[in-house]
Amino acid sequence: MTTNGGFQPVFCTIVPPHVLDKLAQHEDSALADPARRTLERDAYERTHRRLTTVLGASAAAPPAGAAADQPHRTVYDAGHTQDLPGEKVRAEGSEPGQDATVNRAYAGLGATFDLYLKAYGRDSIDGGGLPLDATVHFGENYDNAFWNGEQMVFGDGDNEIFLDFTIPVDVIGHELTHGVTQYTANLTYFGQPGALNESLSDVFGSLIKQYSLGQTAAEADWLIGAGLLAPGVSGSALRSMKAPGTAYDDDVLGKDPQPATMDDYVKTGRDNGGVHLNSGIPNHAFYLAATALGGNAWERAGQIWYDVLTGGELPTQASFADFAKLTAAAAKARFQEGEELQAVLKAWEQVGVRTA
Amino acid sequence: MRIQVKRTGGFAGIERYAEVDTSGRPDAHEWHALAEQAVAAGRGTPPVGVPDGFSYQITVDGKTVYAADPRLTGEQRKLITRVLKEGA
Repeated sequence: MTTNGGFQPVFCTIVPPHVLDKLAQHEDSALADPARRTLERDAYERTHRRLTTVLGASAAAPPAGAAADQPHRTVYDAGHTQDLPGEKVRAEGSEPGQDATVNRAYAGLGATFDLYLKAYGRDSIDGGGLPLDATVHFGENYDNAFWNGEQMVFGDGDNEIFLDFTIPVDVIGHELTHGVTQYTANLTYFGQPGALNESLSDVFGSLIKQYSLGQTAAEADWLIGAGLLAPGVSGSALRSMKAPGTAYDDDVLGKDPQPATMDDYVKTGRDNGGVHLNSGIPNHAFYLAATALGGNAWERAGQIWYDVLTGGELPTQASFADFAKLTAAAAKARFQEGEELQAVLKAWEQVGVRTA
Repeated sequence: MRIQVKRTGGFAGIERYAEVDTSGRPDAHEWHALAEQAVAAGRGTPPVGVPDGFSYQITVDGKTVYAADPRLTGEQRKLITRVLKEGA
């Protein structure tokens, strides 16, 4: 595995590329040189991102002397700007500070690291001890959280619809799982493979919450983003794996549009071909398999899904049916012809995805 | 000048749309300058963003360009923020 000492994400190119092109050709090297460097940096970022998509990312090196199988977390504060990574405010092993958002982000990174390590023996997002970086207070009233390919980014929410995006630990787990997917199956973020990419983030996001709370499949709420909606919004969360389409019904937000089965599959060009809509179908299949098996969902159902995600056989353009067939094969490989296989087959049948 | 912004994607997958008509506004020239810079730096086709990142469609007097988080210019960020905040 290659290490390059850790790449510095620089997404804050303020000057448009065509202006930089012009500047880079300027006779005055005081003007031309910085512009050229920015263009080179920009080209590097683009190429790096493309290679990451095609080849999977290489690991940034864990800090020297750092123990294996331990998280290496750093939390930064963007101070309501959109400049990454921002000011470093908490390092691994340091005590909690005054800022609850910083502390939640730090704890959420830890909860995610814990599930992957303790349940699946995976050392961080890349399996090679990747440092976990997060920036909080990104932008003003910013209604989102995302994994930018190299680090976590959290907005504070607008307080009218969304609260702070660090509140639900499953949201943190969801975003970091996009990192795991990027380093493993690398599912294309469009159409059915995109909806699978989204669903895997919901599945492991929910499992991270269940693992950290010590909940069984029967005890879990199977909600994604519980606690994220502002008090005035009519809804319990953003998505429900137990009952897709029922998470919210609100004057401003509208009604949760997720389908639970293939009968209601949404064909659309929006949202990258409905990645946040049709993910309801594989989400519900996981819920059905996990609750049919009972006990801790991360142990058997979660293991089967993890085996498919990381097993190397899932194509980047996988359809729901491709994925479903591989879960059946993974259930058989790990648990033979037992109740696990039956639970998986029945779950996909119930949501209308063929496994044969 | 009519400035429209549509935001799609994001963790929630919820769309937002707003527009501002600058005619008669005292700060119209400020909006025009911002809109022109934002459009000049935009792309003709939607760029590949990051999972759960917002995608934006900016339309100024009928001309549409695309942008996506986390790669926005300062002017694009400012315009998008202002239209979604002040627009209807």
